[in-house]
Amino acid sequence: MNSLFKLPLLFPDFTCLDFTCLDFRREARGERRKVRGDLGVFNITIMKITINNQPFEVAEGLTIMQACQSAGINVPSLCYMKDVSSNASCGVCVVEVKGARSLLRSCITKVTDGMEITTNSQRILEARKVNVELLLANHPQDCLICDRNQNCELQEITYKLGITDKRFVRTRKGHLPIDDSSLSLVRDPEKCILCGRCVAVCSQVQTVKAIDFSGRGLKTKISTYLDRGLGVVACTNCGQCALVCPTGAITEKSSVNEVWEAIHNPEKVVLVQTAPAIRVGIGEAMGMPYGSLVTGKMVAGLRRLGFSKVFDTNFTADLTIIEEGNELINRIRNGGTLPMITSCSPGWIKFIEHFFPASLAHLSSCKSPQQMFGAIAKTYYAEKTGIDPRNIVVVSVMPCTAKKYEAKRPEMDGAFNYWKEKLNLAENERFYDVDAVLTTRELARMFKETGVDFTHLREEQFDNPLGTSTGAAVIFGATGGVMEAALRTAYEAFTGKTLKDINFTAVRGMTGIREAEIDLNGTKIKVAVAHTLKNARILLEEIESGKSPYTFIEVMTCPGGCLGGGGQPIPTNYEIRKKRAESIYFEDAHKSIRKSHENPEIITLYTDFLKEPLGEKSHRLLHTHYVEREPGI
Amino acid sequence: MDKFRSTAVSGESLDEIIEKHQGKPGVLLTTLEEVQEAHPLKFLPGETLTEVSKKLKIPYTQVYSVATFYSFFNLQPQGKHSIVVCRGTACHTKGSKALLGDVGQILGCRYGDVDDDSSFTTPDNEFTIKTVACFGQCAQSPVVAVDGKIYSYVNSQKLIKILKKIK
Repeated sequence: MNSLFKLPLLFPDFTCLDFTCLDFRREARGERRKVRGDLGVFNITIMKITINNQPFEVAEGLTIMQACQSAGINVPSLCYMKDVSSNASCGVCVVEVKGARSLLRSCITKVTDGMEITTNSQRILEARKVNVELLLANHPQDCLICDRNQNCELQEITYKLGITDKRFVRTRKGHLPIDDSSLSLVRDPEKCILCGRCVAVCSQVQTVKAIDFSGRGLKTKISTYLDRGLGVVACTNCGQCALVCPTGAITEKSSVNEVWEAIHNPEKVVLVQTAPAIRVGIGEAMGMPYGSLVTGKMVAGLRRLGFSKVFDTNFTADLTIIEEGNELINRIRNGGTLPMITSCSPGWIKFIEHFFPASLAHLSSCKSPQQMFGAIAKTYYAEKTGIDPRNIVVVSVMPCTAKKYEAKRPEMDGAFNYWKEKLNLAENERFYDVDAVLTTRELARMFKETGVDFTHLREEQFDNPLGTSTGAAVIFGATGGVMEAALRTAYEAFTGKTLKDINFTAVRGMTGIREAEIDLNGTKIKVAVAHTLKNARILLEEIESGKSPYTFIEVMTCPGGCLGGGGQPIPTNYEIRKKRAESIYFEDAHKSIRKSHENPEIITLYTDFLKEPLGEKSHRLLHTHYVEREPGI
Repeated sequence: MDKFRSTAVSGESLDEIIEKHQGKPGVLLTTLEEVQEAHPLKFLPGETLTEVSKKLKIPYTQVYSVATFYSFFNLQPQGKHSIVVCRGTACHTKGSKALLGDVGQILGCRYGDVDDDSSFTTPDNEFTIKTVACFGQCAQSPVVAVDGKIYSYVNSQKLIKILKKIK
């Protein structure tokens, strides 16, 4: 007899929705047994069930779908998504249970003792087909030119269920308008199948609630408040909605054409920077296993695309650590606002601006590594190489949709202001520090467009000087990474001693909020790390109530940090996030230099250009300010 | 639109309404209902929804979701008089489709402007035309409700008479 002692909650603090139990037999019987699992010894009730006439034992509390999955039997579904949503709206995951009058939705029905489940009868296959066909009735038939072509769950399920005909006519009158008001995301409600995943991730994981269902019946759709558009309402641009969307209803606002234009313009020097999380994500989009570490191949691929120089955002991640670490020490020594909170994650910045404007003083004034890169590339690098800053185009590849918004924030023009007087620039020549932002997915499309093949690509190195980085910078891509990198530098700067063990494992992992206590030569400080805005909200409420025990807090908008960002390859789930995190820490462990302040190019940057951390040039180029926005609720 | 805004419930009068319902189940529904009733044009302007949302500390999108879900709530100004044409099966067989067309022609809307989910209001805010799935008066079909009063065995001539009377 097969034993399936799978425990349902792998991430107890993450959004595991409470499933509404629709047991047709109210009382679950079963046998209590002691079971040794990954997390310890548990006293659980074992249910004896059969799936397709095969006997199984499963732990109490599992849904039929989870039980089937652990048994290696795949039940198709569209709206259900582990850790995100369970709306039971699509009706694709239906199964037959002996004794039940109707088919049951396996995503919300829990197993009970003695249950006899069938997953493949003719009645089931027909019902699934009809449910998907009904969704197709109002779905556009433009798959060939859709952003999600070949990576669409609706397309896949239509194929898998053997639907070859379009039997039902369109019932929706008129066409719903596309919402392209946001700088980061585009919503096409015509492609929406109302599965509710985006609503769930926005309200439960991020607690932003920028979108929800509106209307009723045929007129139901996903709306922003008063249909004002994502660019107008309190949306953080995190893009988790795009990541969970089974169709092409929410996608990033593409900058691919803009980048091609710059690359093909002979007058432009196009510099590309890649965020730490791209090297563990882009491989997946190029057909490699989840979490593949492909730093060298990515660099080679970017050269094949025609970028003038391939640089690394990690360089300015190291720079961020120097500035932020010194800012922290400054605040501790001079009684500044504490706890200080990191400012690398633009979704988080917009979140605090909308929802907690009273706490803005807690944010570090450091720009994010992407913006520091743009500012340094168009000043320091331009001066060093003698290139006219007006001809430099900075393209970033980010795992993030909010970065597209960040690059277009009006205050992100430090380099222009730097050159304004020197070159006598006119107002209409104003340029941003970062010109275009691509997501990991967009870069993969460009690779595919030009026939870049990762299997045959030889590994290459980043260009210098803005391509030299340390292990501390790599881990920016994982939740807890900025904290760990900052502690490696801040400890040594504060105490003057060399750090014995540079691995701060307490801040690693996927727990929603993690904390640690650090002894800085007798000064003990408490630090905390949070990922997802739901957890950030908890820490902020603690700060606003005056009860926060922390000195320094790292916040990452997306689950798992940047490696789980809204611009990463689809699918992205917790299992995949963990694999990407392993690769990130692997790269860190194998770097020869692992502390930001030991990066030789950063040392040169300070000697030749910036002079000192938090100095006059730093303030003009590397630090920023925040604004209070229309309050969200 | 400005003249409508000035007449919407806001500020202290909204606080009063909220206070009545605060703490009771369904506070959002009952508040929205009373606020709409208090508006001379029987609708909920966007500004009102925003204010309700802020005061009740319920997310904007949730308030919008509720206001758009229930057919009772109007997000557009309603006419002084309401005309509700029954589009149930019995009334349909007795010609309610043509009747709806006639109302439209008299009041200046096109066929298709009014369906199960949408209504039409004349530009002068005198009339709003709506449909309903069934009044439960099938024996006297076709029926039309004008300002809440149900008229039975309605035909075009009778309809014109009724409309003239209230105009």
